[in-house]
Amino acid sequence: MAKNDNPKVQSGTMPREMGDDTFSPLVDLYETRDGTTVLAAELPGAKSESIDIRVEKGVLSIYADAGSEGPGPAYNTTYAGFSRGKYFRAFAVSDEIDRDRIEASFKDGVLTLTLPRAAAATTRKIEIKSE
Amino acid sequence: MAIFRFPGAFDPFNSFRYMQRELDRLFGKGMALAQQIGGGVYPPVNVYNGRDDMIVECEMSGVKREDIDISITGETLVIKGVKKAPTEDEVAYQRCERGSGDFSRTIVLPDRVDADKVDASLVNGLLTVRLPKSEAARPKQISVK
Repeated sequence: MAKNDNPKVQSGTMPREMGDDTFSPLVDLYETRDGTTVLAAELPGAKSESIDIRVEKGVLSIYADAGSEGPGPAYNTTYAGFSRGKYFRAFAVSDEIDRDRIEASFKDGVLTLTLPRAAAATTRKIEIKSE
Repeated sequence: MAIFRFPGAFDPFNSFRYMQRELDRLFGKGMALAQQIGGGVYPPVNVYNGRDDMIVECEMSGVKREDIDISITGETLVIKGVKKAPTEDEVAYQRCERGSGDFSRTIVLPDRVDADKVDASLVNGLLTVRLPKSEAARPKQISVK
């Protein structure tokens, strides 16, 4: 990621300097029954080797590149409904997430991140010691 | 369907589409969802017209190959499918932007197609359909005597 050492979460938007061809991917965020948070981001056309996921100072950032090449100059564009480019989105990650155990997989253009709950965040029953 | 014709890579509407995406985000998930699923504009497509064939590209992340149904009648291409997502019973959603369910999109192609030679591939959520033009639609070289 070019010159973006300290991404800040600005209500989900992307840094202005990322330019016109950077899109904010659509995201589903849900919690499974065992308390694991799952983040699914749509990155259609992104190459898996271009995906860059970072956790830095409590900010989880996703970057991916879908390239810009179309079918080439031999083709005219008859109808354009989307354009290729880069994807970027950042999320604030709370201390309840175990940042060291975040796992990622990429399938069918969907990046799935599993964010397990930190051991400290699970409920702990505190016994009262009798005097 | 509106058809814009631009030569080559020139595309003056690029920034408008970008603006539309950003506005969809701004106005929240209700409007964005209506746009993306069930609203008639999902999935987004690009249509390219070449000399001997046409290419239709389609963004469909999270749709499995076996859930896509493509059919051609004359100059009309229909892409149907279903996008599956975990239900509210299985998981607790905190944010749901991607949408799910049945979708269908009808695309009127710029030329007639040789339907037997059409091939489609799905790579990283991007569907690419290559449609060779039928013999009658291809340009013919006429030599001057």
